[in-house]
Amino acid sequence: MAIRTRAAAALILQKLLLGKGSLGASLDLHREQNDYQLLQEMCFGCCRWFHQLDFLLLQLRSKPFKRKDQDLRSLLILGLYQLKFMRIPDHAAINETVDASDDLNKRWARGLTNAVLRSYQRQRKELEEGLQRADLPKRESHPEWLVSILAQSWPKQFEDILTANNCRPPFTLRVNLSMQSRQQFLDTIDQADIKARAGKLAASAVYIDQPLPVSKIPGFFEGAASVQDEASQLVPELLQLTPGLKVLDACAAPGGKTCHILESEGSLTTCIALDRSPTRLIKIEENLERLQLEACLLCADGNDRDSWWSGEAFDRILLDAPCSASGVIRRHPDIKLLLTPAQLERLILEQERLLETLWTCLKPGGLLLYTTCSIVPQENQAQINRFLGQHNDAKYESITADWGVECESGRQLLPSADSGTDGFFFSLLRKL
Amino acid sequence: MALLPILEFPDPRLRKVASTVTDFNEKLEVLIHDMFETMYDARGIGLAATQVDVHRRLLVIDISENKDSPLTFINPEFEVIEGELSEYDEGCLSVPGFYETVSRPRVIKVRAQDQSGKPFEMTADGILAVCIQHEIDHLEGKLFVDYLSSLKRQRIRNKLEKEHKKSA
Repeated sequence: MAIRTRAAAALILQKLLLGKGSLGASLDLHREQNDYQLLQEMCFGCCRWFHQLDFLLLQLRSKPFKRKDQDLRSLLILGLYQLKFMRIPDHAAINETVDASDDLNKRWARGLTNAVLRSYQRQRKELEEGLQRADLPKRESHPEWLVSILAQSWPKQFEDILTANNCRPPFTLRVNLSMQSRQQFLDTIDQADIKARAGKLAASAVYIDQPLPVSKIPGFFEGAASVQDEASQLVPELLQLTPGLKVLDACAAPGGKTCHILESEGSLTTCIALDRSPTRLIKIEENLERLQLEACLLCADGNDRDSWWSGEAFDRILLDAPCSASGVIRRHPDIKLLLTPAQLERLILEQERLLETLWTCLKPGGLLLYTTCSIVPQENQAQINRFLGQHNDAKYESITADWGVECESGRQLLPSADSGTDGFFFSLLRKL
Repeated sequence: MALLPILEFPDPRLRKVASTVTDFNEKLEVLIHDMFETMYDARGIGLAATQVDVHRRLLVIDISENKDSPLTFINPEFEVIEGELSEYDEGCLSVPGFYETVSRPRVIKVRAQDQSGKPFEMTADGILAVCIQHEIDHLEGKLFVDYLSSLKRQRIRNKLEKEHKKSA
């Protein structure tokens, strides 16, 4: 059997360009390979910088690529990525990329690949100057439509958001505070020579300086800590959990928040983790097992209420709604290639339906926490405003905190180059 | 020590079914050594004896980047542990330059013998599981292009035949 790292990377990028699959799923298949890290770095980088590199490529070859040559376009993007962003010597990057055109069965493109990459090398200075004069979406490598939404929504912060989206995300852990204090955990990992610092917003958050395999984290398999962004770690506190409550986590996979809810309050009467994807439900199960926690797992679409609900109302509902994930672009740079305005519209409708359905499952006096990892207001405050306008029995509970931006009906964390968290939205509603 | 010529699709010899290895001798050792050398030289991650025109149930694999984790499987058999299929863009040293998506069971258990004839067992997933299944197919006279539509297969055949004529 034959594989090639660069051809494999180009094929993954090609799939994304054709709107198929996701970066995570495509990379997963390569996880066992020893060149996985290189492949991962190349794929992430090409997605992160796609719009910018594609702009450069257009100066070098103005002829558009046919649908069947998207693999070649991907390979050229990859070649430019190596020349511009990686510490591979130019000649090696060019030779390997030219060879990879054979691997794509495009031997005819060897000359073209060589010519494009060498002319970038020769005209690097002029091209980069030209890029500096190009518009913001090109310079910061984002789709134009998304930039205009962000510019409109966050006029003061949006340039910082774009920069933050292009940074590598921090490696954040959630310490299992039911097992030990955060300080105890920090001491333990310090003894293992892992440099880390405590998060400022969530009591359980720890930032690890250098990403490392979870197997190297002391006590990981015994449940001492989990990988989770600090923003998500703010959820249980906002839910105001007390013993005896019935809790629903409505879009639960992969179960990070479910587990955190159970770590925070060990005496809930019920905790149901609902998700419509059976394969993702397995992830929740694995997480619960590692942390030695128990929840009731249900595989169903939250909207199809009759298929999963017993009729017994909940005291607390967490709706971590399906969303554009525009707040986590730094973690999933393929969003830049995959997300479309039409998809955004569909997601907004889905969020609306979920809110409507789940509201009927909440006890009077109970709380529903609506969260997304989006920074698009139509999915967040606009969604909640609309809901409040149509429901007299819903009251917005403002979240007093020293983090994020306070909006009319929620609190928004924005990705920023200096703060640690993902972009995330929270809105707490009480049923009257 | 020698590099062995690799048969290329649509060579009919790739369709032969291989027979069981019974003699674990020096000749076998030399063959294994040559197969590794040939595979590394061609920048492959797996090679079945069939591909070098030896019709015995033997394959060599190394999925590591540093070429330091050689695995030898003699008389291999596998059973599916997890029926869920996963897709991978497979390529083959006998079908140079073509990569196509093939679905195969995700997790398998392999039973085989090592170079000295000692039996062993291992569970494989990810790329290793893909590679083992791809190579065992060769021993049955099967190629990854057989999983594609006949139209795609024909296209690949035509292109390779053209290449072969050019270099002949």
